[in-house]
Amino acid sequence: MKNQRFSQVVGMLMVALLAVTLVLSVEQAVAAAGEINLMTWGGDFIPREIINEFEAETGIKVHYKEVTSNEDMQSLLEANPDQYDLAVVTDYMVDILRQTNMLGVLDKDQLPNYANINPVYHGPYYDPTDEYSIPYAVSTSLLLVNPAAVESLGAQPITGYNDLWQKELVNNVVVVDWSVEIMGVALKALGYEYNETDPEKVAKAREKLFALKPNIVRFETNTPEDSLVNGEAVAGFMYSNQAVKGVQARPDLAPVFPVEGMPIFIDSWVMSKEAPNKEGAYQFLNFIMRPEIAARIADLTKFTSPNKAAEEFLPEDFKNNPMLNLADEVLENTSFYIAVDKVLDEYEHIYLEFKLR
Amino acid sequence: MQTLKRNLLAVPILVWLGLLVGIPLVFVFVLSFLSRDSLGTIVFQFTLENWQRVLDPIYLRVFRNSLLLAFLTGLVTIVVGYPVAYITANLEPKKRALSIGLIMLPFWISSLLRTYGWMILLGNAGIVNNILLGLGIIDKPLPMMYKFGTTLVGTAYMLIPFAIVAIFNSVDKLDRSLLEASYDLGANRRQTFFNITLPLTLPGIAGGFTLVFIPALGLFYVSDLLGGGNTIFLGNLINTQVTRGRNRPLAAAFSIAMIIVVLLVISIYGKVAKDDAEGLFL
Repeated sequence: MKNQRFSQVVGMLMVALLAVTLVLSVEQAVAAAGEINLMTWGGDFIPREIINEFEAETGIKVHYKEVTSNEDMQSLLEANPDQYDLAVVTDYMVDILRQTNMLGVLDKDQLPNYANINPVYHGPYYDPTDEYSIPYAVSTSLLLVNPAAVESLGAQPITGYNDLWQKELVNNVVVVDWSVEIMGVALKALGYEYNETDPEKVAKAREKLFALKPNIVRFETNTPEDSLVNGEAVAGFMYSNQAVKGVQARPDLAPVFPVEGMPIFIDSWVMSKEAPNKEGAYQFLNFIMRPEIAARIADLTKFTSPNKAAEEFLPEDFKNNPMLNLADEVLENTSFYIAVDKVLDEYEHIYLEFKLR
Repeated sequence: MQTLKRNLLAVPILVWLGLLVGIPLVFVFVLSFLSRDSLGTIVFQFTLENWQRVLDPIYLRVFRNSLLLAFLTGLVTIVVGYPVAYITANLEPKKRALSIGLIMLPFWISSLLRTYGWMILLGNAGIVNNILLGLGIIDKPLPMMYKFGTTLVGTAYMLIPFAIVAIFNSVDKLDRSLLEASYDLGANRRQTFFNITLPLTLPGIAGGFTLVFIPALGLFYVSDLLGGGNTIFLGNLINTQVTRGRNRPLAAAFSIAMIIVVLLVISIYGKVAKDDAEGLFL
């Protein structure tokens, strides 16, 4: 008797559960018609207010998945290509995703606003035919320096990477935490190119790099500018958007474009080959390529916009900022980290030895 | 049949563990013998290369670093935690509950936030330096961040409640009449502590040490934030190899190696606590 009642209750619960699941899945199917899934860096890399405006205008719901590395996006896209419509990845990752056949070809007929993109950014090495990617944010890595503090330590003014090796700067340099970039600093200081594979040059860069260890106070990828703002470090090698924030917080800090040259990054939109809502994705891309929207994105994120038509909408202080409005001679002295996969293993090993010193 | 019925309630959790811990673990183990191409994609080809690299001297130094940090964390938490646990166990019930509550309270806040709290406390423009500068005790900020010691402070702080609770249980179960007997036989407090209390609470110390040692091996974000990424521990190594290093098979080999280290520690603990009924793991 008791048992019977028990099974009745269980049965009813099962039915209820089934009903709830059914309702939920129907709801999901309805919503799917009007939603897009995109993923990229967190920290408002695609400003929330821009997404809100897009949602209000089109009624398409935007799901924004925040990730911390290009490699995370690669694995997520590989695991579930049909769950993402769009992603913003860095140049070299466009190349990898293109080679591993993860990307859909972008139909330019659906993207009239693509005409706003500065032709300078057409046909990059990672996408020579412009079929798979649209540039979104351009940035560089550079040196942020506290000139007065450098002088008070008795060191020479910093104009390039080589100046970071001065022994007066012991425990006073902060750098972003990635093997390829830090090896790049050593390679450039020796007058070589990024991602060098020649064993002799790599060996020299390794020795050079080891000599830098005493000067480094901190490895920090997310907020290296803080160390200069609070005085822990007098010089730092970091991304341009971080340096911009550093100067905003403390105007006596100065950006230095290293004489040896510097890396450039082009974070670009790509579409998953199995994007479930290509229609919505095109609408979104068109939206963010509108000149005034692109200008606002640039100003909010502190990244240089590849959108030529956006320039007239940019505020004056943005246009006058040498880190954001890169001069031609600075731009000429930049280069990409190409073919990271060819050097990564060896550089990681060297970097490990470097850190364990 | 009787035992099956009695253990029926354990079946869901066993299925859960089997599905969500057992199977992934087998995956990781298999992965550690696979190769990958230069783009990071896993290639189904057997190799011992990852395991050879685990034994490479440079990587062994990472193990030494981690073991040193975990050992010192265990030591610090025991030395600092023992008096706290001892005093707490001897409090009257109401105060005792309050004390345990206060020890557990920080656990309600994300450990990442608490790590940032230490940065706010110890940084160059941090609270401690500001107070010392304001009082005129120092004339320029004391550099306290980004050292091995900073990481140690962070891991010890993060894990000390485990040590306190383990020792507390041990002290709490102590038979007070043994202490009275010791005093009756003319021993002073010091002698009683070292000859009676300490040996009897040894299983608690060993348990606390083990509970602290094991997670201390893997707390990578503490050394990233407080240590300034200046050296590499096992957790950091595995983290970088999975993400930016794009070498998941190598990360898998290190994870398995780390599990082996943990098992060794647990077996040592088992030896220390084997005569005691209050073991942690069986």
